[in-house]
Amino acid sequence: MYLTDEEKRMLAGEKGFVPRLCMEYLVEMSGVAGAERLVELDGTADFHVPFTAMVPHYEFPIEELRKIAADGAHFALPTFANKGPCYGGTFVDGWEASGYAPHDEPDYHERAMQREWMELYIRMGLITTYSCAIYLAASYWPTPGQHCAWNESSAVPYCNAVLGGRSNIDGSFASAFLGKAPYYGMHITENRYATVVIDTERKIQTDIEWDVLGFAVGEECRLAVPALIHTGKPTTTQYQKFNTAANTGGSIAMYHVPGSTPEAPTLEFALGGKKPKREVMIDDAWLKRTYEKLNYHKGDSVEMVSLGCPHLNLVDLEKIARKLEGRKSKVPFWIMTVPTLYHQAEQLGYRKIFEDAGATFLSGTCPGAIGGIPDGVHALAVDAAKQAYYISGLFPDEDNTLDVFYGTQDDCIDAALAGRWHGEWR
Amino acid sequence: MGEKIRIKGRAEWPGIAEAEALVSPIPLEGFDNVDPAKGYTTERNHPLFKIPYEGKVLVFPSPRGSGGFMGYGRGKLPAAFVHTEGNTLSIACVMCARVPSMTDFETDPVPLIKTGDRVLVNADDGYIEITKK
Repeated sequence: MYLTDEEKRMLAGEKGFVPRLCMEYLVEMSGVAGAERLVELDGTADFHVPFTAMVPHYEFPIEELRKIAADGAHFALPTFANKGPCYGGTFVDGWEASGYAPHDEPDYHERAMQREWMELYIRMGLITTYSCAIYLAASYWPTPGQHCAWNESSAVPYCNAVLGGRSNIDGSFASAFLGKAPYYGMHITENRYATVVIDTERKIQTDIEWDVLGFAVGEECRLAVPALIHTGKPTTTQYQKFNTAANTGGSIAMYHVPGSTPEAPTLEFALGGKKPKREVMIDDAWLKRTYEKLNYHKGDSVEMVSLGCPHLNLVDLEKIARKLEGRKSKVPFWIMTVPTLYHQAEQLGYRKIFEDAGATFLSGTCPGAIGGIPDGVHALAVDAAKQAYYISGLFPDEDNTLDVFYGTQDDCIDAALAGRWHGEWR
Repeated sequence: MGEKIRIKGRAEWPGIAEAEALVSPIPLEGFDNVDPAKGYTTERNHPLFKIPYEGKVLVFPSPRGSGGFMGYGRGKLPAAFVHTEGNTLSIACVMCARVPSMTDFETDPVPLIKTGDRVLVNADDGYIEITKK
């Protein structure tokens, strides 16, 4: 592959151990990806804290981080944390009341917290958003055309499709520190055009329609770039939902909604002036089948409800607060958001409303990321295709199965208040 | 010996491995839907549900889901990966597993390989050779 003279010097170790290791990582990744050079990043980056690399081979010890931080090292571009600061994916806020042992114990939380790593990262410029939905708290976004390195599957389409930034799912310490990434995939204009046109029988308008459509489109398109036609204009929540579901049913880094997403003023533009390879009609029966695939239960008894995949924005938190005000949940009920929004929601009085309704307000993780739910819960209701589809993977054995109910936010709230599931595809 | 089929492709990770194939006709999903310690998918309704991939040539069309796909490269390991197309998910997985891996073939090998066929993955010379059962 082509490397600049400076990149070659870094690879030779002339700039020290950490730059060399980061360069080795990017060069190796380029080799696997078939990338012929690196691209200079000018947008934003995020990575999975507390780790220094996704690939264990490129992890490095804290002594090395201490050294470079003491020498004044700084991330090369605005860099955000897309996971919490603890090992084990534990909660950032509200853990004391989570009811999820051992994550509700102060000692456990203290041991899991990687305080010194975080202090060093922060000195190097890391913004501690601690969320899969960094874009909800970033206060600073890539602008159209900027090259980025994001690393959260549910967020990457937000970068590419919604903001017009350019990113693969490859944010890492190395990319953020050196400001470089392998040049392939979504960095290349040609790869960003749609090749599949998706039409739907019904006009996609509600949150759950966007969520179910996302899963169906992911399954149908796999790695391809779709253009969605004849839909309503998605809201922020609906973009969040579609992105997350599409990267569970498939692996969609980029898509177009002509008339809404910035690289698709028209369908022709989204297609780059070419004919699509395929045109697919997703009819109502297809959506219903997808909804039913996301439901995985025998009876109708609900033992827990979890909302907040991806992490809830303030508008959704407000809606949930209004629906729960003065009511009482019969079952454990997790409501999950971004840590910074948690504190805003607290100031707005939502935390008190949630707690008075018997719910637990939490931030910085989710059942899937923390790897489970409180002991004794065998029936969980969620409003996210991603959570619904992953969570049962943690309960594969016949003597320890989990019933999963999937439906609208209203269906889930109703289930919390009634302890029973009344949701269905409408 | 059965029929042999040779297909050229792009090597992602070098090396040579020969083993029985385990074929997933649909994409594989990692994160909570793989158990790296046990070495099988835990994805409900998946054709490879709880079928061990350790020591097999794991053949699949494409990865799906989150970056946690790399779970397929972080515990029990297949002998090699063969897949139709990939992206960062499969790239990071291969970098974790560090076993021979190939993709971007001149002909899609996934429909041609059946579980139980023997597959030679020669990522050094850029081809796979399928010996039908």
